[in-house]
Parts: sequence; structure tokens; C-alpha cells
Amino acid sequence: MIKRYFSLLLIVLISLRVSAQVWVVPAENEAKKSPFAFDDQSRKAGGDIYMTSCKSCHGEPGKNNSLPLVPPPPDMASAKMQGNSDGALQFKITTGRGPMPSFKNTISGTDVWKVISFVRSFNDKYVQEVATNAGPGAAVQNVKISITWLKEQSQVQATLTAPSKDKVIMPVAGAEVKLFAKRYFGNLLIDEPRNTDASGKAIFNFPKDLPGDSTGLVQLVVVPSSEAYGETKADTTLAAGVPTYLPPLNEKRAMWNVVQKAPIWLLLSYTLAVLGAWGFIIYVMLQIRAIYKAGSRKEND
Amino acid sequence: MASEVNTDFLQNKKLDSIAADILKPVGITQGFIVWMGFLGIGLLACIYAYYIQFDNGLIVTGLRDYISWGMYIANFVFFVATSLVGMLISSVLGLIGFKWVKPIARIAEIIAVAFAAIAGLVIVSDMGRPERLPYVIMYGRIQSPIIWDVTVVTTYLVLSTLLYFLPLIPDLAISKGRIDHAPKLLQQTYEVLSVKWSHTSQQYKILLKAVRILLILIIPTAFAIHTVTSWLFAVTLRPGWDSSIFGPYFLTGAFVAGSAAVVILMYIIRVNYKLDKYLTSYHFDMMGKLLVLVSIVYLYFNINEYLVPGFKMKTAEAIHLKDLFVGEYAFMFWCVQLMGLVIPIILMLFKFFRKPLSLFVISIVVLVAAWFKRFIIVVPTQDHPFLPIQHVPKAWTLYQPTLVESAITLGTILLAVIIITVLVKFFPVIPIWEIAEEQNEADHKINE
Repeated sequence: MIKRYFSLLLIVLISLRVSAQVWVVPAENEAKKSPFAFDDQSRKAGGDIYMTSCKSCHGEPGKNNSLPLVPPPPDMASAKMQGNSDGALQFKITTGRGPMPSFKNTISGTDVWKVISFVRSFNDKYVQEVATNAGPGAAVQNVKISITWLKEQSQVQATLTAPSKDKVIMPVAGAEVKLFAKRYFGNLLIDEPRNTDASGKAIFNFPKDLPGDSTGLVQLVVVPSSEAYGETKADTTLAAGVPTYLPPLNEKRAMWNVVQKAPIWLLLSYTLAVLGAWGFIIYVMLQIRAIYKAGSRKEND
Repeated sequence: MASEVNTDFLQNKKLDSIAADILKPVGITQGFIVWMGFLGIGLLACIYAYYIQFDNGLIVTGLRDYISWGMYIANFVFFVATSLVGMLISSVLGLIGFKWVKPIARIAEIIAVAFAAIAGLVIVSDMGRPERLPYVIMYGRIQSPIIWDVTVVTTYLVLSTLLYFLPLIPDLAISKGRIDHAPKLLQQTYEVLSVKWSHTSQQYKILLKAVRILLILIIPTAFAIHTVTSWLFAVTLRPGWDSSIFGPYFLTGAFVAGSAAVVILMYIIRVNYKLDKYLTSYHFDMMGKLLVLVSIVYLYFNINEYLVPGFKMKTAEAIHLKDLFVGEYAFMFWCVQLMGLVIPIILMLFKFFRKPLSLFVISIVVLVAAWFKRFIIVVPTQDHPFLPIQHVPKAWTLYQPTLVESAITLGTILLAVIIITVLVKFFPVIPIWEIAEEQNEADHKINE
């Protein structure tokens, strides 16, 4: 009876565990498709991104050498991975879950599709479906974004322009744009997404305490929220941050430093201990000499 | 050791008989030649094994990427451990004033000198490029426990040698006229080494003071040598090594191995040199009690070392402990704990098992177990690195000591035995003057 009870419990637990592992993708994301057809160029570009951002955990596709984490990061060539729809892959890469980080701010929308293009190259049976409707936009093309640092107000101004039908440069009004500062992993969203005004300008409030490099430089990125404006983005380095000096780890005296920069307390204790012990040893050796001398004196008497 | 020496014992007739007993085996005998020949041939074979390693590098050993500290480092820890007994017997017990350690002290010191001297050599055997040994001094970092280890091992060796040599000086002076049967060269050596000792009270005064300094100084040094050896492991985060009690754990283990080694050497000397008058059943009984005491203390540390992490079973620790308790190393682990600690402790609680022969047999088992215990401490931890090493051949993750490696390890043990043999055979193994002095005092007491 107890045995049966435990096996039942075990089954329940296992099924709970399995269900806990299912990664639910919303239906609309599930059905999402790449806006462009995958080709050798996209696979190549996606492969490069994969090698820098994904390989450290997922390993090389088809070699089953991912990191032994719980749950294990699936291999790209595995049935589990390939069983996802393109939209599901896009959702999972951008959202992240548990140890899998969100790449929403790290890899741009188009680049995510390139990574998926690379992943699909390990599946012979894969046939791509391209989105028939690439969104309302694409109407505005060749958008240019410029970024200006308004020091007094501590604000960043992004200006969007695009050539009109008769090739006159016009401001892009009413476009939602986001401002990011580049950090070690991914991009940090600054302020809120803002809409451009009639003159194509969007103003972001910039924090006064954002750490920059040793001279205060921060790399800023402005991206339109909608894919309707194509692949455009601006990437500028401005002196908008607080100068941050991170001393190199080998600058000060430390256990891990070279012997010339050993901690003082260690140098002192070591030297004193060695000198102390060897001082006594030398003293004892001199005593052997004293014994010898005393013996010689007695012989001479 | 008394602070004053009454040199009356030099006139006592008993000195002659004591000196005769102790000096009788000194010199070259047939048995010695056969034994040294046996050791020498064995050593030659082991030197050839080392030549193979020197020529090809460490690839001829079982050491690979995962387990890079194998039999050699286990052997090193064993050597350092065994050598500590010199401090325990001469200093700790001697300074407290136990008289029974007098005839044993020099035997303990011989073991200390031999094992400390070879310990450094054992480390060289683990080096793939031994010609880079001077780099330790040239580029060594004072922050590294390896440098501390080199420092304390050297200091301990010098201290032990002095502590062996100084109390020997009066004996050399007493002996030099009494070893006509020994080779001329040995007689000349006695002459030189006795540094014109003429038993003046001034000389005794100097000697006693110097020995006292050594006896005190060797205690912190011996503690340092084995604590630092334990730190080579304990300063890492690896399961099985990451322990705050590793220093005392190593120290107490050292006393077990060393005491067992002393009993073995005592028994061999007693039987071969017919010195039962000086190494009596009483001495074995006391050594048996000492061995029980240090074994119980070591068992206590073992319980702490395994029970506490075993209760918590942290992920990485659990993998290691399961390997020891029920896994790959279970047989060796339980043999070492039972044969090397639990059973000897139980047996030696009874007087019968503290008799010379039975204690000798128990000590051999304890000493062999002590060697394997070092293997258990050093090797299994490395099976499970924290950072997985990717794409390694399966064979690199398994450690199987090779024949060459075992031969080199055996060679270091043979070398230690050779040093012991030479010291035991060519110099008085029991302090003649101290025994004679004690006898003299006892006689006086009776006469009064």
C-alpha cells in the first residue's frame, strides 16, 4: 500500500517537474515569422552572433557540449530545439527565463532573426515561411538619427530625419524611439521611450550619476521601437557619464600580486619568523664552536 | 634533560658495560653489507625509473589534466608527517620530563632527519622540469604557501639534524676509544665530529643550553611545517580540502604515522642489536599508550572532518564524500579508517597488544594505512573540478599510477631507509651518556 502511495507520489512529482519546465509561448509570438528570407549571408552573420553570445552556454551546435547547468541548455541541433517555431525561438531569445538571459536589449530585432537563421541551418528538414506582411511601415526608409548631448539640461536629444519622395530631407515626426547606454552585458534603457515631435526631435532625461569610462564617455544607442523604420539605429559616444577610474587589480599590494607588491603584514611575519628561527640556529651552531674551543683550551692546559 | 650534569658517571664502571652494549653493533658487518646491497640494487632500479621520467617528462606517470597531484604529493605529505615525530618525542615529551623517552629520543630524531631530508626530494620527483628548481628561489612569491613550505621544511631539517647531532657529541667522545673493531675512517669521523669534547662542566653547560633552545624552537617549526603542508590544500575552495581544521587534522595524523614509525625502528633495533636491556617492554608499553592517545585524537579529527560536511552534504561536497563512503574510493577509505585507526585503537587498549612484537605488527599496519590515508586526502578531490574542463579524452580524467611512478615513489622510501640504516649502523642509537648518567643517579639514590 505504502509502496503504491510512494510510486503515485513519484509520478505526480515527476509530472509536476516536467510541466514546470514547459516554456509557454503566447500564441501571437508562436506564429511570428521572420521578415526576411534566410540566406547564406544571414546564416553567416547569425553564426558570428551565436559564437559570441550563445556558445558559452549552449556549446557548439551538434556536439552536445553545452554547460552542465540545471536545466541543461539544449543543443541547437537537438529535436527539442528544432521543435520550436521560428516565432517561439524569437520569443525565447528576447524574453529569457531562469539562467537564460533576455537578449532583448543586447541583440537587435533583425539580428535575433539572423541567429534563428543560423540555428535552422542545423535542420535539413526545415522549410522557412517568410512573413507576408512585414508590418505597416517600411513606408519610411533611410531614416537617419543624430544624437546630441545637452549638457546644461542633462538631456539627450535624438533627431530623426528621412528623405521624402522628392529627396528632400524631412524630420520624422511621431516615431517612438528608445535610448540605451551600452553596458558590459547588453544595453541599459535610459529614461522612457519617447515620441519625436514635429521637428523630429525626442528629448530624454539623462541621469547625472551614470558611470562612464575613465574620461566619462558613454556609448549611447538610439533605436526606433517599431520595425517600420527599418534597421536604422544611431550609435554615438558622448561625455555624458561620471568619469570612473577602476584601479587595475594589480595596482595595490595584494596576495595575488608580484612579490614586490606582497602585503606588508605578510612580508613582516615571514621575515621575522625566518630571521627568528635562523638567528637561533646560527647561535646554536656558534655554540658548537664554543664547545670546540673549550675542548682545545683543556687540551693545551 | 637536567640543567646540570654530574660528570661522576664517567668514573662509574657501568658506563663501560653500557657503552659496550650499545657500540657492539657499530661498524660494517656481513648483515649490513647484504642489507645495503639489497637496498642499493633496489635503489638503482628506481633511479633508472627516474631517468625515464627525467628523459620523457611527467607523461610517463598517470598524472593528467584532472589529477595533477597524485602519488608523489601523497608521498610528500606522508614523509613530512612521519618526520614530525622527532618533535613530539624529544621536545614535547622530553620537556615535560618523561624519563622513558631518553633511549627513544635519538631513534625518533633519526626518523625525523631521514624523512625530512627526503621530503624535499619527493617534491622534486613531482616536477616535470626539475632543472627549474632554482626558479623557486629566483621567482618565488612570498604570498604562496609553496614558498612557506620550502622554508619550513628546510628549517625543520636543519633543526632536526642539529637536535640529532648535539646530544650525540658526548657519545662520540665516549665512543672514540671504544670502537677499535670499526673501520679506521669511522674512527676518524668520530674524532672530527666529537669537536674536542672532553666532558668539562663548561662544555656540558653550553651543550644543554643549545639543546634546550633547539627543543623549544623545533615545536613551532614542526607545527608550521605540517600546518603549511595542509594549507597547500586548505587554501583552495575544493571539496575535501576546503576545511578550517586541516592544520590540526594533518598534525595529529602526523603523530600517528611518526609514532608507528618509531615503534617499528625500535623493534628492529632491539631485535637486531640485542638491546632489550635498553628498549624494554616498558618502553614499548609507553609507546603503545602514546600511539593510542594520538590515534584517538586523530580519530576525533577524522570524525569532524567527515561527519560535519557529511551532515550538510553541500552539492559539490556530496559528490566527493559519496566517492569516499560508497563510491570509487570506498574500499581504500574504509580500510584506512578501520585498519589504520579504529581496530588498532581498540587492540592497543589491551596490554597484550602493547607488547613489543604485537605493537610492531600493529605499527606496520598503521604506517601503511597512513600512507594510503595521504592518497585518500590528495587524489579523490581532484576528480571533480568546479569548472568543467571541456573536450578532454576520458582517459585523462582517470588516475592510475604507472609502474615508473610507483618505482620512483618506492625509491624515495628506500632512500629514507638507507639514511636510517647508515645512522643506526655507524653511530650509537641510544644516548650512552644520558643512560649512564641516569644509572649513576639511581645508584646514588640507593646508596644514600
